[in-house]
Amino acid sequence: MRSLPRIAYFFDPGFPGGTSSAVAAELTAIAKIARIEVHAVSTRMFRDKPVSTPIQKILVKLGLDLIWDAPTITADVVLIHNPSFLKFHTELKQKIIANHLIVITHENFLGPGGNEGFDVDHCLDLVDRCSLALQKTIAPISPYNRLTVKNWLSTNDSSDHWEVLEQDWFNICDFEILPPVASPQDRRGRHSRPGPEKFPLLADMDRCFSKSAQSNIILGADLFLAEKLDRNHWNMVPFGGLEVARYFEMIDFMVYFTAPTWRESFGRVMAEAIAAGKVVISDPETASVFGGAVLGARPADVDDIIANFVRDPRHYQEHVLYAQMSLAAYSTSTFQQIFPSLIRLNHRHAA
Amino acid sequence: MILIDSGQRDTRSFAAKILFAAQLTRVGYDAVIDEKTVPQTIDRNQEYEAAPFLADITQIDISGYVMIGAETVSDETVIGLRSYQLAPDLSVSAIGRFPDTQSQIGATTKISFALGHEANIIDLAELHGRQLLETSVNPLVSVGTNGPATTATLPELFVYLPQDWLEDLENLTSLSAMNFLPGFILNIVTSGKGKGLIQQSIYSGLSVFSLNEIPPLALAQRAQVAVFLGDGVPGERMAAFALEVLSGSGVLVDSTTNGAFVNCGAPALRGPTDLAGLPNFIQHTVGANLAEIGRQAHQSDWLERTSIQRLIQHLNLSSASRPLPKPTDTTARTIFLPTNGNGLGHAQRCSLIAEALPAAHPTLFAAFPSCIPLINSKSYPCMPLVQKSDDHDAPHANDLVNYLRLRQLCRPGDHLVFDGGYVFDSIYRTVMENALCATWIRRGLWRAGQITQTALGREKVFDQVIVPQEAFDELNTAYTHGPTVHQVGPIVQNVLPAPDDAPNLKEKLEKKFHRRFDQLVVSMLGGGVASDRSAQLHALCAILEQRPNCLHLIVVWPGSRISAGLQGWKNTQIVKTKHALQLCLAADLVISAAGYNSFHEILYHQMPAIFIPQSAPFMDDQEKRARSASERGLAATVLANEILILEREVVAFLDTEKSATIRQKLGKTVLPERGNKKAAELICAMGAK
Repeated sequence: MRSLPRIAYFFDPGFPGGTSSAVAAELTAIAKIARIEVHAVSTRMFRDKPVSTPIQKILVKLGLDLIWDAPTITADVVLIHNPSFLKFHTELKQKIIANHLIVITHENFLGPGGNEGFDVDHCLDLVDRCSLALQKTIAPISPYNRLTVKNWLSTNDSSDHWEVLEQDWFNICDFEILPPVASPQDRRGRHSRPGPEKFPLLADMDRCFSKSAQSNIILGADLFLAEKLDRNHWNMVPFGGLEVARYFEMIDFMVYFTAPTWRESFGRVMAEAIAAGKVVISDPETASVFGGAVLGARPADVDDIIANFVRDPRHYQEHVLYAQMSLAAYSTSTFQQIFPSLIRLNHRHAA
Repeated sequence: MILIDSGQRDTRSFAAKILFAAQLTRVGYDAVIDEKTVPQTIDRNQEYEAAPFLADITQIDISGYVMIGAETVSDETVIGLRSYQLAPDLSVSAIGRFPDTQSQIGATTKISFALGHEANIIDLAELHGRQLLETSVNPLVSVGTNGPATTATLPELFVYLPQDWLEDLENLTSLSAMNFLPGFILNIVTSGKGKGLIQQSIYSGLSVFSLNEIPPLALAQRAQVAVFLGDGVPGERMAAFALEVLSGSGVLVDSTTNGAFVNCGAPALRGPTDLAGLPNFIQHTVGANLAEIGRQAHQSDWLERTSIQRLIQHLNLSSASRPLPKPTDTTARTIFLPTNGNGLGHAQRCSLIAEALPAAHPTLFAAFPSCIPLINSKSYPCMPLVQKSDDHDAPHANDLVNYLRLRQLCRPGDHLVFDGGYVFDSIYRTVMENALCATWIRRGLWRAGQITQTALGREKVFDQVIVPQEAFDELNTAYTHGPTVHQVGPIVQNVLPAPDDAPNLKEKLEKKFHRRFDQLVVSMLGGGVASDRSAQLHALCAILEQRPNCLHLIVVWPGSRISAGLQGWKNTQIVKTKHALQLCLAADLVISAAGYNSFHEILYHQMPAIFIPQSAPFMDDQEKRARSASERGLAATVLANEILILEREVVAFLDTEKSATIRQKLGKTVLPERGNKKAAELICAMGAK
């Protein structure tokens, strides 16, 4: 036990969606290979939000306490997940003392157009000012996320003391693997939180979920419901209005495009669909995170791609099985294997 | 069309959008606001201010999109923006006062998610520097199309006071004293409640505007000096007003307790913070140096930084949709607007004045449907207005449409001549917003309840008031006084009959109606709009039916409704004509209501007449008018319920010497000179100001 590294997590547990799920999966993965403390800070961003369900559940499961607003956090390694929770914060009162401080960037620093995704400089500066560490590292979670981090750093000299981890600190995707259906039909769907960044322009939504489809289900369609969008051939369900498992039973294809000015940094939702045995189609850049497991396409190509799979069920099954195999790269065991190298100090830098 | 949107969809943001749309429109851009964004409850003033800009976005071509108040972008706005499906090459900008980088990034990303591409973000803190009102949703820009404030007449001084100041009688007394300050015309600006306090006080004669009564840009067109008292800048509208005063080379006096204007860099003059010190300061410091202070303020860097042109450069908008009209571009026209009275009196009076204008004077009318045939018969172009109707959703719905029509019709430099008792919002606003030269023709003899400060308070937007006098002195009461109020003689039609006109006309009538008669009686009791005169007309028909040598003509205007039961009398004919006066001139007896026009036509053309005054409470005091003649022995007055007296009078006029006596008396009576020409001269003189 004494040889296990002391790891302190530091984040706002009010984060909904992907970040909380990723942190929960990660806590499970490293619980046996590290001594863990979980520190919570209440920020302006999630001031009135309760602790997210995945975090609550995993803390109970692992028998860990959530330590709120501790004045000092000391550990071998301090992990700050998704620093954007500090974007509305003006001051961090905590003192962080660690050998290695790692900031895991769940959100892209830059959008596709080059605009900042959030006030990165402010968030990193807050962390910088409250921490004493041999090394401060930024850990991107995907190749695309890494690109935005590097591009941002290249134009912000004040942050050039931050190291960038060479290996991706990926989201653990340990979903139950379900087999693909034998005879896929043109049953399309997408699910996401209802934020406007998660949806492409309406014209592209129309291309992705065309009248030619046998069925279209939009889970998280709160925006369209609010504007009373008239699309009789869409089954629009608000976020949380349907069990995700039931939703997956209703589709054979997940068509997932986002606003062209925003991009998933990882795309956990697509991994979830692959595990559920679906063919996933997205824009080429988003798809690239998963290699060939997610099909990169334009919205205008979606009808043809799906028609080809429906005509050729074997092809459909082969693709799903191939995609599911590729999820192994994001498994708990893979993460456990690379974790020591992820948190290791770069001695040249630390010296 | 530039679509104006706001980060929030609340009432305050809506007001800010209207103001910004008006600011852009002033510099030649066509700006619109999505009608779906109108908040559930807006006040009547906002309805008028918004109306010119509201549009069904699906029906127009959008050439640009500007969001104001972008520091906080609501989900509702994002949904709306998505639904517009703007073309990718469209100019899209968002303006805000971003307190920090994150708020700017947050707005930028939200907008870009909805748009599908990045928007052009403008931080006003960066563009303008120190902010006049940091919480303002409107960008607060100086438009500056007013040009240097005119000094052709006395400069107008606008003093803003918080409402609570007006609860103190001492302050009201000070304001009243300031009202007599030589060299300035005082106007007060305050809240609606504050305006009420003044109007209910003994100082109700003070000129006072409520904050929301008139758009700030329109108000600023009149102001050469603006003084702000109280704590701080009192809201966006007043901030916009202050900017416009400065950009029009006016003087801004900062008498706020905290120096709210000067401390943010505005080229304002620091003034005394109480009313006691203000008159001396205005007279000796401001008044003596008005032009120079205004000139220096107009040249300030701060003002330049806040100019709308500078903002437009950053908005990347294409050139203005339309060039701004130059004063010399168009010929100034005189537009007569008679109110929709119960008869045609207002339209008739306006047409008589129009006829007295020089032949080449460009003249047109805007009139309600009932007046249009009369106006058309005199060959004047006429834009129709919409009549009030119980079928409309709101009592002022017709006036909103009329406002839009007048706004479209009137051009800067035009002269609007309104004839009526109550100045509708449409007229009040059109005059103010277009800085029109304006004349109010306002005949007297109002009933006691009609003379209210609300009705007279709008006189302040008119350059002059022409009061057509009544024939007899006791009927004339001056409701307001001053150099802009002009009394003119009665405005009366003038028909000069030839000696043979009456016999010839009688001969024509005999042919037309296939019967001979010796006596002609003409009844003109109106079309029944103001009062139902069926009983009186039936009584007259019955009385005159007993006289085989009599022809009785019931004369009404074409299009008027008349009781069907009147058709069956042998001696009575119903005549719908525009030439009633010619028939009356040939008549042995005229039985008429006592409206201004018919009363004076009867007197001036020396016709023997029985007046049956209209008595509806919303009309002028016809009984008083009728009795003024009958008490002089120049006519008879019979009230509506005096049927037996009516019969006696008819007999007296037709069977005794009464008609002849009255004609003789009328011939000897010296009546005031007609005022048609004088009124036309006053209008011409004002039009050339």
